[in-house]
Amino acid sequence: MLRFTVSKVLNGAKNGPKTLTVLTRWQSDQAKKPEKIEVFIDDKSVMVEPGTTVLQAAALVGVEIPRFCYHERLAVAGNCRMCLVEVEKSPKPVAACAMPVMKGWRVKTDSEMTRKAREGVMEFLLVNHPLDCPICDQGGECDLQDQSMAFGSDRSRFVDNDFSGKRAVEDKDIGPLIKTTMTRCIHCTRCIRFASEVAGVDDLGTTGRGSDMQVGTYIEKLFLSELSGNIIDLCPVGALTSKPYSFTARPWEIRKVDSIDVLDAVGSNIVVSTRTGEVLRIMPRINEEINEEWLSDKSRFAYDGLKRQRLVTPMLRDSSGELKPVDWEAALLTVGKQIKNAGDKIGAVAGGFADAELLISVKDLLNRLGSENLCTEHVFPMDGSGTDLRSSYLLNNKIAGAEEADLVLLVGTNPRLEAPLLNSRLRKAYIHKELEVAMIGPEVDLRYEYEHLGADPNVLKNIASGSHAFAKKLKSAKRPLIIVGSDTLERPDGAAILASVQALASSASPQEKSWKVLNVLHKVASQVAALDIGYTPGVEKIRNGNLKVVFLLGADEGAITKEDLPKDCFVIYQGHHGDRGALLADAVLPGAAYTEKQATYVNTEGRAQQTLVAVTPPGRAREDWKIVRALSEVVGEKLPYDNLDEIRDRLEQVAPHLTRYGRAENANYFKQAAALAKSANLDSTPLDVKIKELKDFYMTDSISRASPTMAKCVQAALKQKEAKC
Amino acid sequence: MSQAAKTAARQVKPILSLNKEEARKRVLNLYKAWHRQLPYIVKQYDIPKNIPQCREKLREEFTKYNNIQDVRVVDMLIIKGQMELKEVVEVWKQKGHIMTYFKESQEPKPKDFISKFLAGVN
Amino acid sequence: MANYFGLSAITNFFKTISSHGGLRASLAKMYRMDSVRMGTCVGTDKYGNKYYENKSYFYGRNRWIEYAPYYALEYDGSQIPAEWFGWMHYKTDLIPSQDPSRPQYKWMTDHTENLTGTPGQYMPYSTTRPKIEAWSPTKA
Repeated sequence: MLRFTVSKVLNGAKNGPKTLTVLTRWQSDQAKKPEKIEVFIDDKSVMVEPGTTVLQAAALVGVEIPRFCYHERLAVAGNCRMCLVEVEKSPKPVAACAMPVMKGWRVKTDSEMTRKAREGVMEFLLVNHPLDCPICDQGGECDLQDQSMAFGSDRSRFVDNDFSGKRAVEDKDIGPLIKTTMTRCIHCTRCIRFASEVAGVDDLGTTGRGSDMQVGTYIEKLFLSELSGNIIDLCPVGALTSKPYSFTARPWEIRKVDSIDVLDAVGSNIVVSTRTGEVLRIMPRINEEINEEWLSDKSRFAYDGLKRQRLVTPMLRDSSGELKPVDWEAALLTVGKQIKNAGDKIGAVAGGFADAELLISVKDLLNRLGSENLCTEHVFPMDGSGTDLRSSYLLNNKIAGAEEADLVLLVGTNPRLEAPLLNSRLRKAYIHKELEVAMIGPEVDLRYEYEHLGADPNVLKNIASGSHAFAKKLKSAKRPLIIVGSDTLERPDGAAILASVQALASSASPQEKSWKVLNVLHKVASQVAALDIGYTPGVEKIRNGNLKVVFLLGADEGAITKEDLPKDCFVIYQGHHGDRGALLADAVLPGAAYTEKQATYVNTEGRAQQTLVAVTPPGRAREDWKIVRALSEVVGEKLPYDNLDEIRDRLEQVAPHLTRYGRAENANYFKQAAALAKSANLDSTPLDVKIKELKDFYMTDSISRASPTMAKCVQAALKQKEAKC
Repeated sequence: MSQAAKTAARQVKPILSLNKEEARKRVLNLYKAWHRQLPYIVKQYDIPKNIPQCREKLREEFTKYNNIQDVRVVDMLIIKGQMELKEVVEVWKQKGHIMTYFKESQEPKPKDFISKFLAGVN
Repeated sequence: MANYFGLSAITNFFKTISSHGGLRASLAKMYRMDSVRMGTCVGTDKYGNKYYENKSYFYGRNRWIEYAPYYALEYDGSQIPAEWFGWMHYKTDLIPSQDPSRPQYKWMTDHTENLTGTPGQYMPYSTTRPKIEAWSPTKA
């Protein structure tokens, strides 16, 4: 496993040029602001910190130097040589990505020498690169294609391969997500560096030298990681392309719509590519505060689940007990009649994909009917201050903040699979900074080392009382973090765990006042918004309410079953997939999935973001809040909003932060929350998480369960586990 | 009427009629022309209406504008009416064009939320 | 003599009626087939249609079919099987049983009438896969 710390490198322990340059960036953050030096890029003066590379200095003045192997989030390799530039008084051109600038250097990025160097490099790269752009999936968004147009020559001097042929490399099978065409590989090693540095899976590497060099897994093996899809984006050529997307579209045919991912609680920023009303692929969008430029595999590849098992028409259960398609008028009238008859004996359960607009409209409707039975499917302890204080259910220190920590205590969570992008931050801090991680809970593979403190929740008590060895570390840590998984808080003694964690968090003494120790990691996208709006976590109210009508808002995780409800209870399911929830429904109202509506989601750090409409809802499906709005009119309790702006105004009335898109509203009152928490007895049953291994990661919700790609991933993960290599 | 207004009124260029009386005559002439044409319309176009119904519609179409006082506007409408009549007489129109006087062939677009919702338009 | 006075028409009339088995039966035939003709039955196909010929009618009207009773009034020309088609349309004067040159193979399919307008008719359908697969409650 790759781990080199600043101190190791400075002590000169086996550091090649590669490791040194990784650290320059990190060092520059930490160093005590040394004097800036002046360099000249194309005769433009720029002041940079020492240790800055030529390429970075050029970027400061807006000069982009062409590159293949260099990637700002990965270690510098310096092996593609595309970034060669001329430096005055230097006899040879210099690789800009790896060379730190010196005082007074005059760099020429557009000189004759530079251009000739680039042209030469390009000529070498194209010696063995196949000219199969017309059948290559990268065509149109290929770095090599673009740069050969911009910097390459129009002919090659290497004509002998007209007879001998180009280098041919066997394709690898590295899993159901990534298609490899290894003859196209230009050996930039970005994928290798990503795998070992970010994903923490050291499976990729090179074998052979010179023109025999090959990138691949050394033995026949699948490249399975929760972040594996990112190497598709990283690959500058078409060697690694997306298997599900292969041969479907060209970049100039597709429309790109910015959106938000909802398959986990991180709220990654995504770009949805569509053509002819069909989602063709999902790619990450850069957001430094959330997902940087990575995306987890589930978010990236589960989109084909949006095309299967969809609810496309309203359905009602007929006298023979079967769900039959009906039109909206009939569905609304029947459902409306049931709601009218139920009076205040009505409840709602919000599932993981419910957006804030839907949540608020259902809450308004039920409140008008005199009911307060609004629940979320996922449990959160309600003792003490419960969900009244936002600080007790948010990832308070933000996702980007995890990078700054020096000590992290994970309590009953598996961040690698519950929030892969949070885990990549932790891993980044672990590798590049001196982050120490400890874990209370099951011993899961996080792809970095951590201290396992056992699975017994009473360890929390021991740390709080100071009897545990970890207590001292926590006390002395300058920027400690405690991350609690929502799985843990769903236990019967969840309140006690939260209380002891809150106590523990307030006992820690971070250096900065604004540093927040307590962090809760949720698993579903809707939870924070639901709690903000005032839903009660857990379905106790529904079970005990003796209700006549239950509204399931995409609740598919089986929290409510037929046995929990009275016999004559009328179940309405509103959602986009036919899953567990739709099976027990008496009426099905088809809603829109996250790519089909403009909707607000709040991620686990409390950041409100909105999805945009990429495709229209299929068939007779409608935007979710509109269904509720139409229903309210049928019931006779007309909700006072007719369009998106009006319902967003209503959202703002309830919780202003819900419409401040892109901003994470800070929470407060940690002390008060801790004081209000009652210290109940902890169970001694060991802490556990639901998603332990990679095979559990892929299918967790109604979209990913419907996705054939995700099913293939599960099969691959199982196969890999059996092979055990 | 003040002097300025009078001069302004005098200055506008007439389209057909110089005064109201003349305009009225033209309207009546047009009305009569249509009225005489109605039996032929019913016959030639084979529309599912009889002559009294057409007369009623004709009256309705004319009285629709009975609040218009401006001679120039009246003239304009007369010209348009004549063009319509010409098209009808020459059978440049078809059956459907005649029937649109009685009923719009397009459904009106839904306006309120619930009908928009049911129609699936936003 | 009888011919001369047009009496043969009358005798033919009575002969025709009696050949059909009386006035009632003739009226029924008239109702079903719009004509009552006298002729010799030259054959029956496997569907029960009877084929008649009367050479005293002029060419074009001297061969006709009486559809099997179960067709009732729902009969049409496409119910004539291929082997009788030629005889009906004067392509041949040999009825199928007398024609030695007719091919008989075991792979030849049964005759089907024109199903247009019936539930069995051909409906064109799309062979492209739907972009969205809908959930069906029974399958799950």
